[in-house]
This record gives sequence, C-alpha cells and structure tokens, in this order.
Amino acid sequence: MKLRKALALGLCTAMAVTSFAGCSVAKNEASSSDASTSTNLKGEGKDELHILIYAQEHEKAAYEKQIKKFTEAHKDQIKNVNFEVTTQDEYNTKMTAAITANDLPDIFYVGPASVKEYVDNGYCIPLDKYVDQTAVDNLWPEIKSAYQYDGKEIGKGSLYCLPKDLSCFAFAYNKDLFDKAGLDYPDPEKPYTYDEFLEVCKKLTKDTDGDGEIDQWGVANANAFGMTPYMYSNGVKFLSDDYKKVNLTDNKALKDSFQFYTDLTSKYKVTPSVEQDTAMGGYQRWLDGQIGFYACGTWDVAAFMDQATFPYKWDLCGWPVGPDGDGKSTTWLGTVGFAVSKTCKHPDLATELITALSTDLDGQKALSGETTGKSMQIPNIKDYATGDWKQAVKDGKIPYASNVDVIFGYIEGNDKYKGIFEETTYTPNNEWWTTFLEGIPNVQNGSESASDYLKEVEPKCQEALDNAWDLSSGNKN
Amino acid sequence: MEVTKSKSKGLSAMAKREERWAWLFILPPFVGFCIFMAYPIVFAVTASFSRWTGLNSLLGNMAGLRNYHDILTDTKFWKSMLNTIIYMIGIPIGMILSILISMGINRLKKLGRIFTTLYYIPVVSSLVAVSILWAWVFNFDYGLLNSIIKALTGLHGPNWLGDEKMVKVAMIIFMTWKGLGGTIILYLAGLQNIPKDYYEAAKIDGATGFQLFKYITLPLISPITFFVLITSLIGGWQVFVEVQVMTGNGGTNYSAATIVFYLYQKAFSQNQLGYGCAVAVILAIIIFIITAINFGTQNKWVKTMD
Repeated sequence: MKLRKALALGLCTAMAVTSFAGCSVAKNEASSSDASTSTNLKGEGKDELHILIYAQEHEKAAYEKQIKKFTEAHKDQIKNVNFEVTTQDEYNTKMTAAITANDLPDIFYVGPASVKEYVDNGYCIPLDKYVDQTAVDNLWPEIKSAYQYDGKEIGKGSLYCLPKDLSCFAFAYNKDLFDKAGLDYPDPEKPYTYDEFLEVCKKLTKDTDGDGEIDQWGVANANAFGMTPYMYSNGVKFLSDDYKKVNLTDNKALKDSFQFYTDLTSKYKVTPSVEQDTAMGGYQRWLDGQIGFYACGTWDVAAFMDQATFPYKWDLCGWPVGPDGDGKSTTWLGTVGFAVSKTCKHPDLATELITALSTDLDGQKALSGETTGKSMQIPNIKDYATGDWKQAVKDGKIPYASNVDVIFGYIEGNDKYKGIFEETTYTPNNEWWTTFLEGIPNVQNGSESASDYLKEVEPKCQEALDNAWDLSSGNKN
Repeated sequence: MEVTKSKSKGLSAMAKREERWAWLFILPPFVGFCIFMAYPIVFAVTASFSRWTGLNSLLGNMAGLRNYHDILTDTKFWKSMLNTIIYMIGIPIGMILSILISMGINRLKKLGRIFTTLYYIPVVSSLVAVSILWAWVFNFDYGLLNSIIKALTGLHGPNWLGDEKMVKVAMIIFMTWKGLGGTIILYLAGLQNIPKDYYEAAKIDGATGFQLFKYITLPLISPITFFVLITSLIGGWQVFVEVQVMTGNGGTNYSAATIVFYLYQKAFSQNQLGYGCAVAVILAIIIFIITAINFGTQNKWVKTMD
C-alpha cells in the first residue's frame, strides 16, 4: 500500500515537473518557429541539399539570391535546396538537436572556436579534395588559417570551412560632439595613448543642458565585448600560452589595463555609471548622441550610416594604446564559416555551393554594400576588398566611414594596428571568461578595488577553465 | 470474495470486448506518456552520468557520479540554490495577500468580477512580455517605480536590477504580482463553497469576525491552501524566464540566478548537456522530496468539509 502511494506520488510529481517543463519548451519552440524561415529552391535533377545558418534579413536576401543563381546553374543536378535560416540565439540549440537526432544539415555554420570539436567528433569533412583552390587563394589568409586543423592544432592542415565573413571590432567617434567641444578629431594614423584618450574623454563628459547632471560622456563600454580591446592594446593575455592557466594577478599589463578600464567609470566618471548603464545601455546612448567614443563592429557600419538610426556625423578610429604592449592598437577579429557535414551525400556539390556563398563576386558586392548600399561585412575576396571596394568607399559610392583603413589595419595588421582572435577561441568553452565578467560592475561602481577583484576571481576562473579542459580531454567520439 | 474471483476469471464475451476497448482508449495517452515523458526522463537520467556535450557520444563518455560531484562542489550552484529559496519568500506573501483580496472580492457583488478579471490578466499574459514590462518598471533612471519614489521623497530610488540585494526584492515583487491572480481565483472558489449556515451558527454562538475567520474560513479553505502551496513550490523551484529576461546574465555576481538559470547556462551556453541533465535530476529530486513532505504532513492541517 505504502509503495503504491509512493509510486502515485512519484508519478504526480513527475507529471507536474514535466508539464511545467513542457510549458516552457513549447513556448521556446513557438518563438523559434516564428524566427526561423525555410525556403525551398527547386531544380530538375535528383540531388538535395539542406542548409542551416543564422542571418539578418539583408544577409538572408543576399544568400537566397546566390542559392537561386546556383540552383539555376545546376538545375540538371539539383532537385531541391532547402535553405533554413534561424536566429543566432537559436542556432546552437538547433544544431544540438540535429546532431542528437542524427539528422545534420548538409551545410551549416561552424565558428573557429568549434572547428576542433566538430572535426574531432567527425561532423564535418575536409574540403581540400573538393574545393577550387583559386577561389581559396583569393580569401584573406588571416581567415583561412582559422579553419585549418591537423587533428592537433588550429592553423595547420586541412581546410574545414569557407568563411562567411571576417569581421573586426573597431572604435568610432561622434564628430558632432568633437566639433561642439572644439576638439581635434582622433588621428587614424596615430591611435591615442591611454592618457591622451582619458584627457579627450574628460573634455567630452559634461552637463549639456545645465540641470546639474552629466548627460554626455566621453565613452561607453560593454564589458563583454568592449573591454578586451583596451586590454589587448596593452599587450594583455589572460591565459598562458597553452591556454591552460588563468593569469590575472601576476600580470602587470593586465592589472594596469584593468585598473585603467574600470577607473574610466569609477574614478574618472567619463562613462555612464553602472546604474545608468543598467537603465539605458551604451549602444542606445551612442545612437542618442550622448557618447563620444563607442565600439563599431564591421556589421554595425550600415546601421550607423543610416541617418534614421544615427543622425550624427561619425568616423572610425583606433582603440587607445596602453604603455605595456607592443604599441599597437589591438582588437578582436570575428568570423564564422560554412562547413559541409559528413553525412552529406553530395560533398562536391555542397562545396561548390559554399564556395559561391563565400567567394562569388556578385554575392560579396551585395553583402559588402556596393550593390545594396548596406555594408554588412567587408568583402571576403582580398583583392576586391583592397581594390575596387576600398576605392568605392573612398569615392563615396558605398555609404561607409571614411577612415576605412582602420578596419584594414586591424584585419591585415601593420605597424599601428593588429587584430587577434579572442582567447576563448582556443579554450573548450568560455565559462572562465563569463566568470571573469560577472563581478566587474562592483569594481566599476567602486564597491570593490580592481586588485581585490582580480585576486578573488582568479581561482574561480581557473576552476572553470580546468573543468573545461577536463571535459574535453577524456572526450571520446 | 468468491464472487469477485469468479468475475475476474470468467468474463463474459461482452465484458472481454469492453475490456479490449478500454485498453484501446487508454493506449493513446499511455503511448504519449512513454514517448514524451518516460523516454526523455530515462534519456536525461542516463545523460546525467555522462560528460555529454551534444557533440560527442553520450554513451561513450560515461563518467559515473562525476557530474553530481562537480555540481555539489560548485559554489555557483549553491548560490543559485540560495537565490531560488530566497525568492520563495514571495509564496507566503502571495498567499496571505490572495486570501485577503479574495475575501474582499467575495463581499463585492458586481465589482468583484471586474477585480477578479483585473487580477487575472497577468496570469494569462506572456511571461516574457510582462518580464520586459517589469524590467522597465524597475529601470533605474526611467522606471515607474523610481519615478514614484522620486516624486514622493525627492530621492533617487535604488538600482533594482543591478544591485545584488535589491534584485532579489525586485524579483519577489514581480513573482508575487504575477502569481496573485491565479491564487485569488482558487481562494474565491474555495470561499464560495463554504456554506453560509456555518457562519450563521457561529454568529449565534457569539463568535467574533476574527474567530469566524480563524475557525471556519481558514480551515475550510485549507485544501486550496494545500494545492496552492504545492504548485507554488514546484513553480518556485523552476523560476527561469524572468531572470533571463530581466537580468540577462544572472545579475551582478550571479545575484539573481536561479537553479534553472544555472542549468540553462551550463547546458546551452557552455554546452555541458550531461551536466545540465544532472542539475535537472537534482532539481527533480528536490521537488519530489518537498512534495512528499507536503503530502505527508497534509493530514495535520488540511481539513475538508466531510
């Protein structure tokens, strides 16, 4: 009797739990199906391909056009190309579900941080055999290496993806605010030092309407994305060379630049306070004309050039440079690539399609703004990017910030600029990094000192990193 | 005894046919339960013993109790557990408010329905939508709450969602508001079920208003209280959406994170799906124990009208 009662109770609980869980799952799926779209492009042949990527509306339109063109050119071979587009938030969940269900799409996105895991577990194939070498040679060499892997190290061996893009996180300034303050514009040839930057920020921080409260700030930063450029520009490395050890305390460059970064908010108050930032984020304040300097990813340019979104004059500049590094303004690079799955029945056709998506000139012209006027990325084809495209930008044919060389500096590297991949690219997951971010607001609002925080958070980050490596080491496929 | 025996042994042809039909009717929900509940539960429990990342093989990476050990020694888990428990302060507050409001509504005639509808609106609204709405109510500079505080006191209100302590107060306020409507409806039904003559008899015997409440109302709505308590506790352990929407990263220093938020981050941000399953199993065990305790002690305080 007791057993039956316990069983009944157990069943009730299980049902209650699962029905609650069911609710939230159902909701998520409903919203994801709202955000996802699937288009079928038909040919007259026999082969079928399924593509799953995430994209913004403009990108989606450009890719759809490409796929249509490709399907038409191969209509004897292709029966159907199913082009499925989801949001970036949903993408990982969808891929996990596809992998668990053994139903991988033929073509999907893989970021440089995931190449190792996808290859080690046998989900994507090397493209060397199928790919048109001249097309690959036209790509930026910087991105190609991010997708090479020899079973041990990234940067060597077979090519596993063709890049969708190569982006960088540059810095921008509001020219109108500089004009009003009577300040000289930043020199793209000579990025500010920390001290110079602070002085300019102080001059841009003011109470413009005279109500006694500051309503314009020198700079606004989002910790998750906008802190590392300050630190990289001071030569900072968070991890040891083998990416196994977190080094926050015995690290002068890191301590100094973290101090400088948090002082911008807590001591010099040239950024909105932590409280103000929770009330309205830096991006919104920048669009509202309250901020002198703000980050600008290559994907932001189209929005910032749109008068309806950002009705101010602006241009690109370099992130400020600290005293401890190599003197180069340094920011992080981003990319994601098209991969072909191991279960794909027509790897040659799939590779041909991703080659078109990655390197077709018309497609690149659309995505980089020459034919559409909206620049979502810089072109993947190096010769086109540094040649016609750059010229079109300089001639004003593509709406773009005139200091476009800043972007090229970060991507190609020169004696003033440099771009690197974030260290999370090389660790099995990013938990050590999100752990580091969690308590920074307490330093920025002055309730904890920068050095105390680094001391306190270092073991926590190390623990997370150890777990991550541990998780990936004994990994069997 | 004899009769039942013979009945179960020798069923008539019609009874047998009926029994087959009965099985057929039971089958669809049973198959549904197997596919959509039993299988996922078995899968999740199996995955909880594996260092499954979603990309690697689940059965090839079995690690025994490793995940459980890591969870129980992870300070973030205990922090999110503590936050979850703190949020449950809202449950008794919500119950007391609901009883008071439903007794008030019960006295009103036509207006009562209007109030009931008003209080019920949050229950039928999308949780994501009302969370976004309340994120604005709690906004530091532009929020309704701080505007009222400023108008009344002239001082700037607290940083509701950014401060490590205030974020818990904000969450409790939100959850209480959100849950009120459903509980009021239940209590209202309970109150209307109490026969009027109980009160009349007690009044004749000279009972005061408080005595009526204490000795008649409260005991007779105790089954409702029991139901509300169980569902609120189960729901309380599963809070996620409001944390995700209102604080995004779990609040400064993880101050707003709940167990399910922790689970979500581990499973879907860090790709530790096996670990996430283990958190889910622990959560299910906690809920099972709490519910068992509730059922076990109900005889002591839950009264019925029989």
